[in-house]
Amino acid sequence: MFKKLLSLPYALFMLLFVLLPLVLILVFAFIDASDGTFDLLANFKELAKEDALGKVVKNSFIAGFSTSAICLLIGYPIAYYLTKKEFNKKGVMIGLFIAPMWVNFLLRMMATKAVFSVLGVKLGMGTVIFGLTYEFLPFMIMPLYNTLLKIDKSYIEGAGDLGATPTKAFWKVTVPLSMPGVISGLTMVMIPSVTTFAVTEIMSNGKMMLLGDFIYNLKADSLNMAAAISFVLLLFMIASMVISNKYDKDGGKGGRLW
Amino acid sequence: MEKNNDYIIQLQGLCKKYGEKTVVNNINLNIRKGDFVTFLGPSGCGKTTTLRMIAGFEMPTEGKVLFDGNDIAKLPPHKRPVNTVFQKYALFPHLNVFNNIAFGLKLKKIEVDYVKKNGENGVKQIKLKNFLVNPQTGSPDFSIAHKDYFSYIEKGYVKLCKIKKTINKMTKKGRQKKEVNGYKYYIDEKVRRALKIVGLSDYETRDVDSLSGGQQQRVAIARAIVNEPKVLLLDEPLGALDLKMRQEMQIELKEMHRTLGITFIYVTHDQEEALTMSDTVIVMKDGSICQEGTPIDIYNEPKTAYVADFIGESNILDGVMIDDYKVNIVGAMFDCVDAGFGQNTPVDTVIRPEDIEVREAGKGQLLGVIKSSMFRGVHYEMVCECNGYEFTIHSTIESPVGKEVGLYVAPENIQIMYKEHVDNTINVTFSSNTTFNMYGGEYEFDPTALFENCSYDSEQDILTIDGKECSLKGKNAKINFGFTDIDMTDDEYAAPLAGNVESMIYKGKNYIVDIKTDDNNHIYADTEYLWDKGDRVGIKIDGKSFGLVECDELFEEGENV
Repeated sequence: MFKKLLSLPYALFMLLFVLLPLVLILVFAFIDASDGTFDLLANFKELAKEDALGKVVKNSFIAGFSTSAICLLIGYPIAYYLTKKEFNKKGVMIGLFIAPMWVNFLLRMMATKAVFSVLGVKLGMGTVIFGLTYEFLPFMIMPLYNTLLKIDKSYIEGAGDLGATPTKAFWKVTVPLSMPGVISGLTMVMIPSVTTFAVTEIMSNGKMMLLGDFIYNLKADSLNMAAAISFVLLLFMIASMVISNKYDKDGGKGGRLW
Repeated sequence: MEKNNDYIIQLQGLCKKYGEKTVVNNINLNIRKGDFVTFLGPSGCGKTTTLRMIAGFEMPTEGKVLFDGNDIAKLPPHKRPVNTVFQKYALFPHLNVFNNIAFGLKLKKIEVDYVKKNGENGVKQIKLKNFLVNPQTGSPDFSIAHKDYFSYIEKGYVKLCKIKKTINKMTKKGRQKKEVNGYKYYIDEKVRRALKIVGLSDYETRDVDSLSGGQQQRVAIARAIVNEPKVLLLDEPLGALDLKMRQEMQIELKEMHRTLGITFIYVTHDQEEALTMSDTVIVMKDGSICQEGTPIDIYNEPKTAYVADFIGESNILDGVMIDDYKVNIVGAMFDCVDAGFGQNTPVDTVIRPEDIEVREAGKGQLLGVIKSSMFRGVHYEMVCECNGYEFTIHSTIESPVGKEVGLYVAPENIQIMYKEHVDNTINVTFSSNTTFNMYGGEYEFDPTALFENCSYDSEQDILTIDGKECSLKGKNAKINFGFTDIDMTDDEYAAPLAGNVESMIYKGKNYIVDIKTDDNNHIYADTEYLWDKGDRVGIKIDGKSFGLVECDELFEEGENV
């Protein structure tokens, strides 16, 4: 009984700051702002009228997908070599990938922007993706590094023993076994990069909007519409969680992709 | 290069060092084609490292690994014609049983000679997984005579590929269905055959995680033998199984070895396993081979006390070879069948517990009193004390505790071995007239006991030998001391030198302890107390007990004038 009591503060906190806001989003998303009545579709109809939204969604997905893809392409080799003995020193890991995170990210973005303007690079989608990649790369490397580290060396040795060259062994054993890390890395990069707002604002000089910026701009006039978009995003997030959970179920050892 | 067709694997001067630490030290070994060879030894003796060097996972620091006479020491694992069954199986968790076993086959390519359309000869690399079994002959089509390949490659192969695509279309699941119009995939057939050999015929589509330990073991074996390696390496494959399963698998492995005709190289620390299955047992210690021989030889005629102690139960006792065919063990005379040791040579003797006959008191060579008796199923295990030494006896007839009995051992049941060491002989450097440095420890000694015609004035530090004054500092010498001169202490700082207990052998009353110093040197001590392997001990030696074997010239030439 006493042990149950101990969890009470935590439960209260969750109720107040996690569950309640979620419920509020749900409620607001389905309340018509004009007359305050419950209407399942009012806000979504209103959203459909927004001309800018189509472009924002398109931009969000382009930015989200390319950022995740670039993070995967850069992050995988880094994570892979960090698990190798010669590189597997905590100092390298921290120095290269964690230390930038100690600097406030707004500051980092401003600095990057300044560098770009000195170099004369035109701000736009390219620089936004650069900024997002810079920002979220550690979130890709971390889960990949953990998964790759967990892969027993004997699997690679086994593949070599059965006649696989190191390259073949990598593609047929290491990659499939690291799929859970890939999936969770992709999720951890994709979702925040779609919903972030400051990065786009700085890196495109306010010219480009992603869903995050859109919500941020909306909230002043219509909390209900912002809630509706959040609701849609929430659905996306749940869907991606379900997918990544499906791969994690295989004992964290690997997806069944090969 | 020396070629010998009988030997499939030859290890020549094989060494492996990790930094300063030598794990495998100069192994020379010939393994005959088709043999079941077992590396046996305690953990850390270098047996697994040796196996991994044959498999290619470790590169030897020195030496050669010959396969059919060709050095493969530098080849990566995937180019070696051997396959390994790993200790923890290393089955791919993302693949099912079928795909695990087919892993090696899917990677394989076959070189096929053929005649091109323009009449030229060509060679094509074709993946093994594309071959189908000819339903008429029951064998894969690449076994047909070379001439037929023209039609095979140019028409037949393409035709077969088309059939394959149709199969995939027809069944949607592709490879799930393995037979259409009598055509079967060659590798499917091979996987099935391998599964049949290990007795898991219906498990093709099972997840490896859903299998029991024994079943996973079988899949691991199937995955290795399906590639038809010339040599199968097994790294403690039964270590994770329970006793019953292990015994069953031992019999099956032996049977597989017989039917497949592949050379098996097996690594284990379980002496029973080694004796049951092998044609040849190689007992290892500290990275070196102690003895190599058939299980019967190793059991009946161990070369050293270490081997005797490791293999089976035994009474290992100090003895003195009085003359040919006469040995004195713990004060009693025994007839034996060994000769050529010389007269009055100290030896180790081994008597197996089942070879001691219990007779009435006064009969037999020894007189003793039964100290304890335990029922062990087939036999009673009794301990009999004779002349202060304990003998372990296995007998189906129990003798009551406290009874006075006579013990008889037949001459052929006494195994006589040279002692590996009779004393500790060590090179030292004098650091002063009364101290020397031995393996990094500063030992005090009594110079008058070490040198003849010697006197020492301790107050003025003047050493006089043969009437001449001299200084020992900086000189090198070889000294010796006996096993019993060592006083082992568990306070390592109370002694000049410390080490870890590496092994112990019970000699009926006392233990011979092998102490390994931090620089990997060995010192042997005789103690009544039981220490544990790995115990940290200090080595104290009384200054009077050192003897001189040889020494640098003590007087510089000029001094004689």
